[in-house]
Amino acid sequence: MVDGLNKSRLPHWASILGVVAIVLGVFLTALHGAEWMKHSVIATHMPESGVMPAADCPEEELEEEGLTLGQCEFLVDYVAGFVESAPEGFSDSMKTLALIGTLLAFVSVIIGGALVNYTAWSANAAIAVFAGLALIDVLQFSVVVGAGPLIRNFYLWSVLLWLILHAMLLVGAIAGRQFEAAKA
Amino acid sequence: MQREGFNRTSVIVHWLIAVSIFFLFISSWWMMGLPLPSKELQFRAFPFQLHKNIGITLVILLAVLLYMRLKYRPVAPKASDMSAWAYKLALLAHVAIYLLILAVCVTGYMSSAHTRWDTTWWWLIDFPRIAAPDEEMNEFWGELHTYFAWALLAFIAAHVSGAIYHSFRNDGIVRRMMRW
Repeated sequence: MVDGLNKSRLPHWASILGVVAIVLGVFLTALHGAEWMKHSVIATHMPESGVMPAADCPEEELEEEGLTLGQCEFLVDYVAGFVESAPEGFSDSMKTLALIGTLLAFVSVIIGGALVNYTAWSANAAIAVFAGLALIDVLQFSVVVGAGPLIRNFYLWSVLLWLILHAMLLVGAIAGRQFEAAKA
Repeated sequence: MQREGFNRTSVIVHWLIAVSIFFLFISSWWMMGLPLPSKELQFRAFPFQLHKNIGITLVILLAVLLYMRLKYRPVAPKASDMSAWAYKLALLAHVAIYLLILAVCVTGYMSSAHTRWDTTWWWLIDFPRIAAPDEEMNEFWGELHTYFAWALLAFIAAHVSGAIYHSFRNDGIVRRMMRW
């Protein structure tokens, strides 16, 4: 016995939106997860004095990593600069948003699967999850936009890009739901 | 009874592997930009250990996926959904992806095994030291690790493109791996 998967009656828009949501969801789960880790690692390993020690750059390590001495020293300055540029509460806010974002992005992968296999609830669930992800982007935008030029340069374009992507997914799901409602 | 799609365990493991691989790529680019380790600068310790933990776990997940795929083989797609040559090409790409995942994990472990850092899997299980620290060997395996990782990314790009192609066609192919 073979169970049927080629359900051509299933909506075309849901098939496309579902797969795009899954691909972006997988990527975003990893991205938000990495962001959460970045803030945790930097906060945990910063010296209590807040002053970064000098870079340790042994020659064999430089060769192995393909770094010059200047680049090796810059790695320390880079982390110090990031911490220096971040206003108070920035790291905690970004970490919280990244954690919620990781969970929502993973849910969007599951919802994407539900869209591909189109079920009655999938369009509503997709609208809720895409709206949630867009809200995370808006909140990240509001945290980043007032955080000074270095942090803005670091984050703003990727936050805006994700906001546009999530807005497109959201309006796609809304349009799809309206299309199905009109058909019924 | 033979299913047209993959079984649920395969589906769950497939997506766990997907998220893990993307996380490893993204986090590795970031962690390589952290300061080199010293007594006072330990930024790299956690991300590198996590990278190794997930990499070793990936090998186990891959073994589970392969076992499930071979034990519960889905039927070949209908010719109207996927032509025979495209199916063969997709199978070859899958085999290449499996081999590359294994190659990336093994070379990564070998590179790490030649450093002075030990491996404690998920901070619980100590892996025995299989080699003495050796900069040249570390570099050799590390380079292989990088090349295999880029090749894997290229195959994943082709794999994802294939999935998107079939989603635009709205045939039954992508539903084979999306059965929650």
